[in-house]
Amino acid sequence: MFIHIEDLKKDFILGKKPIHILKGINLDIEQGEMVALLGPSGSGKSTFLNVLGGLVPPTSGLVKIKDFEISKMNENELCLFRREHLGFIFQSYNLIPTMKAIENVALALTFAGVKKDKRLSRAKEALSIVGLADRIDHKPNELSGGQQQRVSIARALVNSPEIILADEPTGNLDSKTSEDIMEMITKLNRESNQTFVIVTHDPEAAQYCTKVIHMKDGVIERTINQ
Amino acid sequence: MNKQELLLLAWENLWRMKFRTILTIIGVVIGTASIIVMVSIGSGAQKSIVGELSNIGSITTLQVYPDLSSMGVSGISGGKKDADKIILNDDAIDDLKRIDGVMAATPVISLSDVTMETGRDEYSVSLMGLDYKALDDMRYGTTDGKKPNANEESSVILGQEVLSTFSYSSGAASVETTEILPADLIGKRINLVVSRTNEAGEEEYRTEKVKVTGVLEATGGSEDYSIIASDQLVNDLNEWKTGIKINFDKNGYSEVLVTVEDSSVVTTVTAEIEAMDFTVFSMQQILDSMGSVFGMLQILLGGIGGVALLVACIGIVNTMTMSIYERTREIGIMKVIGASINDIRDMFIAESTMIGFIGGGIGVIISVLISLLINLIAGLALGGESVTISYITPGLVIFALIFSALVGMLSGVRPAIKAANLSSLDAIRSE
Ligand SMILES: Nc1ncnc2c1ncn2[C@@H]1O[C@H](COP(=O)(O)OP(=O)(O)OP(=O)(O)O)[C@@H](O)[C@H]1O
Ligand SMILES: [Mg+2]
Repeated sequence: MFIHIEDLKKDFILGKKPIHILKGINLDIEQGEMVALLGPSGSGKSTFLNVLGGLVPPTSGLVKIKDFEISKMNENELCLFRREHLGFIFQSYNLIPTMKAIENVALALTFAGVKKDKRLSRAKEALSIVGLADRIDHKPNELSGGQQQRVSIARALVNSPEIILADEPTGNLDSKTSEDIMEMITKLNRESNQTFVIVTHDPEAAQYCTKVIHMKDGVIERTINQ
Repeated sequence: MNKQELLLLAWENLWRMKFRTILTIIGVVIGTASIIVMVSIGSGAQKSIVGELSNIGSITTLQVYPDLSSMGVSGISGGKKDADKIILNDDAIDDLKRIDGVMAATPVISLSDVTMETGRDEYSVSLMGLDYKALDDMRYGTTDGKKPNANEESSVILGQEVLSTFSYSSGAASVETTEILPADLIGKRINLVVSRTNEAGEEEYRTEKVKVTGVLEATGGSEDYSIIASDQLVNDLNEWKTGIKINFDKNGYSEVLVTVEDSSVVTTVTAEIEAMDFTVFSMQQILDSMGSVFGMLQILLGGIGGVALLVACIGIVNTMTMSIYERTREIGIMKVIGASINDIRDMFIAESTMIGFIGGGIGVIISVLISLLINLIAGLALGGESVTISYITPGLVIFALIFSALVGMLSGVRPAIKAANLSSLDAIRSE
């Protein structure tokens, strides 16, 4: 199995008492799947995604991606893992405001030790995949929300990761732009066999996915394959 | 992430926050420049004074005196018996000559309060009686004329400053005094006049006619104000003046000049002579003690400059800490897209080191300009002479560059560790 999650639990300690946010999640995802994660606010979708991406350590349980046991890695191993296998897309884009689009995208390759000219050419390529070939020298504040999100998608794509984790990628966008973004993601998923896990509130967006998971109160309520 | 990429990233980061970077660099520039200029003033003073004192001749000549503690102050020396006294006589001189590195050892017979008559003016001078046979082995050089041969006992060499000693014109009526230089007297005959008071209480005079053959190179020592004459002549005059015939073998000489091969053996030869219970005096000792005085002066001045650099250092810490707050999100993003803890830490340290190094480099350039300006203004103030008040040594430049980079680096360590340990998620969420 590509992604294998077994009895995953996550507690946050607030004051002295632990509060249980993820209460035993079991899930398998195959390579090339496009998974939508739906659920009410506070149900633990983002927390789950962050554990999956190694940004938050789980309290207990097993998280395995390919042959890597995420749940057992230390911070430096996680960092290397993210660098090579994962791409992130956030609701609020998370671009560096003082860098041009191309620099934002290329930055992901900097830490992977790719040489500068190679970095820039690959960043350019990624930006043209998301349709921003003519905006590479713009800073984030010179771009629309949809364009910024595309830059962040380009950044997630640029190191050709097998898995892309997206937390409400269309959350800040109007329905037309959301559609464009989801269509682009679907295309990427089909063409390059990348696995997507997408947290969303938008049932429309979930329509694009092959698997829809409903979460509630820290557990998976139901899974629909479509 | 390799080092080169890291440096490039740090460099780009600095220019993304231009304004803050430049302000911080200015702080370092001021700090470094203050240190360099302050220390350069110390070395400038040292250079101009030491430079005057240390020509080859004076450095390699040691003045040897009888043990001072045996000169009538035996009580202090712990009651050395008279028989144990080391006498500075010809035997002792032979011993001195046998020391490794010694080229010549010559007794000096001095006579002060001698009047020199040039025909028109009179000067009060001292005579330094030397063995002319040894004159060639000694480092005394002449700026004009030449040294007398061994047999030219009634020839003399004039010290550079002889004519600037107290002088009085014989013709009281002549108002204008033409400046004459020691070199003008070469080949001329001058009179050396010694006086004594006889038993009847009358002044008696004895005049020796001598020929000037040369002018002594400046040594920075007492020679500059003396006339070098042959030991026989000075001894004659001395005996006539005091009426006492000195037995040098029994009583010893009051001073012996030892010439050594080069400046590197001065210290060892000095130690050996001191081990023989003689007192040694050398320019090297003066230079050494001046060296430590100037060393302290430089540390003091450098310390004043150091305060400025300390302020700059606080500035760097402040900038780097502020930049963590400003760039928290950015750091979080970098971590999410694959920067390791070490990458972030090294990136911050590289940034602050660069600030230090760039500030240091500009500081060096600016302090060179300031130093030129100080010397120029001082020169103008002293009437167009070229003077060295501020002197920047290459060592100082290298020290300043390394020091400022080091200060930058150390200032960055704490902020860097703090930045590296930020939780990526919290950092991303921060606004
Ligand atoms: N760092 C934290 N410390 C304490 N509690 C946290 C922390 N992060 C999340 N939580 C809590 O965990 C619960 C789930 O949060 P999470 O962000 O995963 O929800 P979500 O499903 O993504 O909601 P939304 O749809 O609003 O984004 C919330 O009640 C939240 O308060
Ligand atoms: Mg969420």
